[in-house]
Amino acid sequence: MAERLKAVDMVTIGVGLTGSLAALELVQAGLKVVGLERGAPRFTVPDFQSPAIHDELRFSIRKAMMQDNTKVPVSFRNNSSETALPIRRWESFLPGQGLGGSFVHWNGQSFRAQVADFIYRTHLLQRYGQKFVESCGADLTFQDWGLTYDQIEPYYDRFEYLIGVSGKAGNINGQIQPGGNPFEAPRSREYPNPPMKETYFGAIFRKGAEQLGYHPYPQPSSNLSRPYTNPLGLKLQQCVFCGFCERYACEHYAKGSPQTTILPVLLKNPNYELRTNCEVLRINLDSTGKKATGVIYVDGAGREFEQPAEMVFITAFPLNNVRTLLLSGIGKPYDPRTGEGVVGRNYTYQTTGGPTVFMDESINVNPFMSSGAPGTMIDDFGGDNFDHSNLGFIGGQYVGSIMTGGRPIEFHPTPPGTPKWGLEWKQAVARHYNHTIAVQQHGTSAPSRLNYLDLDPTYKDAWGQPLLRMTFNFPENDIRMSQYIADKVVEIGRAMGGKTVVRGGTKRPYTTTVYQSTHNCGGAIMGDDPRTSVVNRYQQCWDVPNVFSLGGASFPQNITYNYTVTIGAITLFALDAIKNKYLKAPGPMVQA
Amino acid sequence: MILGRIRYAAAAGTLIVGLGLAGVASPQTSSGTHAPDPSRGAVIAAQGTAAGAPGCAQCHAFNGASDGSGAFPRIAGQSASYLGDQLRDFSSSVRANAIMTPIAKALTPDDIADVAAYYAALHPPFPPLRNPDPALVKMGEQLAKVGSAERSIQACDNCHGPGGVGEPPAIPYLAGQYAPYVALELRMWQRGFRKNSPDQMAEVAKLLNEQEIAAVAAYYQQVRGSAELAASQ
Repeated sequence: MAERLKAVDMVTIGVGLTGSLAALELVQAGLKVVGLERGAPRFTVPDFQSPAIHDELRFSIRKAMMQDNTKVPVSFRNNSSETALPIRRWESFLPGQGLGGSFVHWNGQSFRAQVADFIYRTHLLQRYGQKFVESCGADLTFQDWGLTYDQIEPYYDRFEYLIGVSGKAGNINGQIQPGGNPFEAPRSREYPNPPMKETYFGAIFRKGAEQLGYHPYPQPSSNLSRPYTNPLGLKLQQCVFCGFCERYACEHYAKGSPQTTILPVLLKNPNYELRTNCEVLRINLDSTGKKATGVIYVDGAGREFEQPAEMVFITAFPLNNVRTLLLSGIGKPYDPRTGEGVVGRNYTYQTTGGPTVFMDESINVNPFMSSGAPGTMIDDFGGDNFDHSNLGFIGGQYVGSIMTGGRPIEFHPTPPGTPKWGLEWKQAVARHYNHTIAVQQHGTSAPSRLNYLDLDPTYKDAWGQPLLRMTFNFPENDIRMSQYIADKVVEIGRAMGGKTVVRGGTKRPYTTTVYQSTHNCGGAIMGDDPRTSVVNRYQQCWDVPNVFSLGGASFPQNITYNYTVTIGAITLFALDAIKNKYLKAPGPMVQA
Repeated sequence: MILGRIRYAAAAGTLIVGLGLAGVASPQTSSGTHAPDPSRGAVIAAQGTAAGAPGCAQCHAFNGASDGSGAFPRIAGQSASYLGDQLRDFSSSVRANAIMTPIAKALTPDDIADVAAYYAALHPPFPPLRNPDPALVKMGEQLAKVGSAERSIQACDNCHGPGGVGEPPAIPYLAGQYAPYVALELRMWQRGFRKNSPDQMAEVAKLLNEQEIAAVAAYYQQVRGSAELAASQ
C-alpha cells in the first residue's frame, strides 16, 4: 500500500530540461513543487570532473548516462505484423537518465524551427496542393501545431539567452545578416554569444559549399564561445573543444544544461523539493477520470508513495511521456487499424546519415579538437527551403560538417573495401583517421499512420508494467528525400577535395542497432483538435486538463533540426500561459 | 631560400667559435620553415644572443629547473609550443612582465624556436624544497582534482591533466612547478597583467581567493611522481 504524502501544488515526472524549467517558473510564482527523477543526483562538481568523465568505454559504449534498460527498456519492431523485442542495448537513440536528463549529455546543437514548420500541413497544401501532398504517401499524416512561429519567437529568445547559445543570426526582424543562415526564421535579436571558432574541417566544408553556390554558416551551439552570465545570474565558461561532449557531461561549466543554467537557482528555492531515484509508476485520476490527483512512485529503497498534487507535469524523455499517459489511462490510445485515438499517434524520428569524405594525407583534420556543435552548415536543403514541386517528396535536411570528437573507440574511418579487422584494417585506420571528414545530413521525419507507440502486450519492466512498444519504419517519402539530398552532398564532398566520397542517405528498414538521433518525437502531439492531438498548444492534456505533457512528444512531426531549443521555447510558452491564465482559473485553456 | 639558410647556419657556427661569450648572432627574419635547432638553443640558454638577450640559464638554469627560489618557473620539459607562445606573448606584452618582455623582444623567431626546443627536451631532477603545510596541500588537492561545487570552480586537472601533468602542446604542466610562481601567475590573471588566456585562466583565477591560490600552488609544487618518472628516463 502506498504511503500518502502531503499534497503539493505541482509534481514533475522527470527532472531534465522541461522538468527543471517548468518547476523553476512555478516555484517563482509561489507554488510548492516536487521534482521526481528516476535517476541519481549529479552535478558538475564533483560528478562530471576529468579524467573520469572522459571514460569513453563507460559513457559512449556502455551508455552510463542513459536510461537503465535492464529495468525499463523500449520494445521495437518495424511494422505491425512483427513481434516487438526489447532493446537491451541503446544504439539508435539514447534517452538520458539522472538529474538533468538528456539535457546533460546532449551536443548543444541549438537550432530554431522554421516558420513553415508550425503550420506544416497548411503550408504544404498552400504551396503544393492536396494532390501533390497525397502523392508523397497515402499514409502520411502531416499536421499543424496549433501555434505559430510568431507566437513562440519571444520564448525562443528567452530560452537562447537562458542557456547562452553561441551563433550568428541570419535574419533579424526580416533583415538578412551576412555570415548567418539566410534561411532561418526571423529572430528579434542576435544570439547571446558570438559563434564558435570554425574548425579546420568546417573551413574545408565552407569552401566546398561556397564553390557550389550554397550558403555556409556557423552552427548555433550551446557549448559556449565565451564566458557568459545568464539572466538567472548563473555563470557559464568557455568551451575548450575537449572532444567529449555528446554522451558525456561537461566538466567546464561550458555547456548549457540544467546543472549550469537552471538547477542552482531552482534547488535553492524553498518551494522546491527534488527527490531522486524515484520511479513514477502512474498518474492517479479521480473517479471522473478528468482530473489527476497525483502520482504513485517507488523510491530507491523500493517503498511506494502517493504524492498528491494539484497539477502533474510529465517532463520525461518523449517516449516516456507517451508511456506514462498510456499507463495512466489519459487520452484515447491510437489504433492503427481505424486511425482513431491519439496517444501514440504520429511518432516520428529523424532522417540522418551523410557522406564520409576521405581526404589527402596532407590535410590534417584533427577531429579530436572539437566541441559538441562545431559545425559549418548549409540550410539550402532544409525543410521547405527548396522547391519540391517536381521532386515527389516533402521535407529536407540540413547539411554540415559536424565532427564532435574523433574519439578512439568510436572513430575509425576506412574506405570501402577495407577488411573489418586485422593488419590491413589497422593500417587503413592509421592512414585515414586524421584525414577524413564526416559530413552530416539531418532532417525531417514525416508522420505516418503506420508508425506509432503503444504498450507492449508481452514484455514488462522491473515493476511489472508493460513496456512501451515502438512500431516504426521510415516512410518512402523520407527515403526519397534523404537520397535526393545525398546526391547533392556527394558533390559538396568532391568540392571539398575528397579523394573518395562515400555517399550517405537514409535507407530502409530503420534499425535500432546504429546510432542515428535521440530526437524521438511525437506520440502525445499538440494540435487544435482533440480528435487528432493529445495536448493543446499549451501542452495541456485535452482529456485531463491538470496534466501537462511537455517536450518532444508534443511535436506533430519532426522538423529538420535538433529539437532541444524548440522544446525549451514551447515549454516557456506553455508556462507563461499556465502562470497568467491557468493558475487564475484552473481548467482547459483552449476550448475543444 | 634553403641555400640562404644553410649559408647562414655555417656563418652562425663561425661566429660562435670566433666570438665565444658574445653569444649567438641571429637573422632578423624567420623563413617560417625554420627547423628548431636545440643545440643552437642551448647556446642561447647559456650565453644569450648578440642582439642583447641574456642567457636564459642566469635565472632558469642551464637545465631549466631554475634556482629553487620560486621566483622563476621551472621550464624544463614544458612543450616547445607553449614556451614559444609565452616568449611571443612576453614580447607583445600580452603577457606583461618587466623582466621577460625586454628579453623576449631581443629574441628573433628562430631564437625562440631553438631555445624552446632546447628546454622542452630536458627532464632534470627537482631541487629539494621545504615541506609545505599538509592542510594547505590537502585543500589544494581538492580544488585541483575535484573543484568546488559550492563556488562553481572546476578542477584544474580538467585541462592541466591528471596530477597536473599537462596536456601538451597547448596546456602546461603544473606538477612540480614552484608554488610562488603558480600563485603569482594566478594573481597576474586576476588583475589583468597576464592576458594570454582571458576566457579561461583569467576567469578561473577570478573565482579563487588568496587562500585557494596558495593551496593549489602548494599542492602542485609537491606533485612530482610523473615528472620525476620523466626525469629518470
